[in-house]
Amino acid sequence: MSARALRTFAVLGFASTHDALDAEAALRANDIEVVPIPAPKSIGSLCGIALRVVPEQLERVVACLGAAGVSIAANCEIEDV
Amino acid sequence: MPAQLTDSKETRIYLDHGATSWPKPPSVIDAVANAMTTYGANPGRGAYKFALDTTRAIHTARSDIAAFLGVADTHDLVFQPGCTQAMNLVLAGLFAPGDRVVACSMEHNAVARPLNMLTSRGVEVVIVDADESGVVDADEIEAAVSASPTRAVVCQHAGNVTGAIQPIPDLADVAHAHGALLLVDGAQAGGHLPVDLESLGVDAWACSGHKGLLGPQGIGVLYLAPSCDPVELVTGGSGGGSSEDPLQPTVRPDRYEAGTPNTPGILGLAAAVRFLTEHAQELRANEETLTHRLHQGVLGIEGFSVLGPALGEPRVPIVAVLHERISADRLAFALDRRWGIAARAGLHCAPWAHRTLGTAEFGALRFGLGYANTASDVDELLGALAVLANELA
Repeated sequence: MSARALRTFAVLGFASTHDALDAEAALRANDIEVVPIPAPKSIGSLCGIALRVVPEQLERVVACLGAAGVSIAANCEIEDV
Repeated sequence: MPAQLTDSKETRIYLDHGATSWPKPPSVIDAVANAMTTYGANPGRGAYKFALDTTRAIHTARSDIAAFLGVADTHDLVFQPGCTQAMNLVLAGLFAPGDRVVACSMEHNAVARPLNMLTSRGVEVVIVDADESGVVDADEIEAAVSASPTRAVVCQHAGNVTGAIQPIPDLADVAHAHGALLLVDGAQAGGHLPVDLESLGVDAWACSGHKGLLGPQGIGVLYLAPSCDPVELVTGGSGGGSSEDPLQPTVRPDRYEAGTPNTPGILGLAAAVRFLTEHAQELRANEETLTHRLHQGVLGIEGFSVLGPALGEPRVPIVAVLHERISADRLAFALDRRWGIAARAGLHCAPWAHRTLGTAEFGALRFGLGYANTASDVDELLGALAVLANELA
């Protein structure tokens, strides 16, 4: 497996797993690529599942979740491959 | 002459759907098995693919069950081990010493015993008697509620002894007009009646998953309107929120679902609800036809009477009968051992209801109809009852 370069991702945290999955479903329904990940400590020890998106999509993600009535509890950036 | 009558060695006709439904639709059995293979991870915790698949399956299950019951916000639909646990959560979580509660006299022990316990802790419980058919009068509830500040009205949706259907929308109006909540035990209603919880106006509604909803035992649902915010009964691991928080998270549904969920139960119940979404109309029509056939047939056998609403009046598919000279236990035993017909004699965990009906001393024989019952089941039962009435009276 070849080495991958580090990239920056936006990470969204939610008050519950239920909300995280509501968010995932809403984003997928709008064709926004989203990856569930274990919630990183940097997000503030929120739900066990956080959602990772590309930073360029963040504005669209926030608008989509707002329209779906899903609250984002916290967000941060992480470096990952 | 042997002491043991064994003419029928197995249950051939199951008429105890009021206790639990049997058999289950094949899709329910498949879903339970699938939950133990494909969806075997602990949901809501880990973010690895196996766990995420399980978490998503429960998320979808909650959405489908909420849609079936008319719940718009899935946060407000909570999984519980059953209706009893759910009603305990609501009652123990809402009331404090000095509170006043008005309850219907037909309540099952799932409600009566928690209320008795709360009475011993200083909660005032006012019981309003139902009429001879088992239906409570909304005007009488209003008289009781308006007599003194009241925190809540507690009432079953349908009776487990009489099958009577309570006037839930009227009770909601009465309770809300006086600033009280309406808390409903829906154990005998779910599946058998169309239920749209938000239009019913209830503040809390609990239901077993394994009765008319046709799911497995060990799972139930509790709807909590935003107006109803009981203190949680159980605290512990919740997956979401912060594990460092010393107290249970207050967000729903996590607040009321501490511990590892019953994934086989939840996915089995979701499969049952999907089955009902497709077939409920025909199943309810069949139940109504069979219930009328049984009720009418029993009234045609000398010495028998039927508890609850008169023939032709609305009821869920429960028909409890009395014979003027033969006790319910003798009838139940003979039906089981000679004809392989399963039915339940006694007080049906509802001493308040039997006291109201005047049957507390000897109980009654209850037939609960449901999924997979046929007209020939009813006809065979009626034939057996006629034989017993002739032999034992």
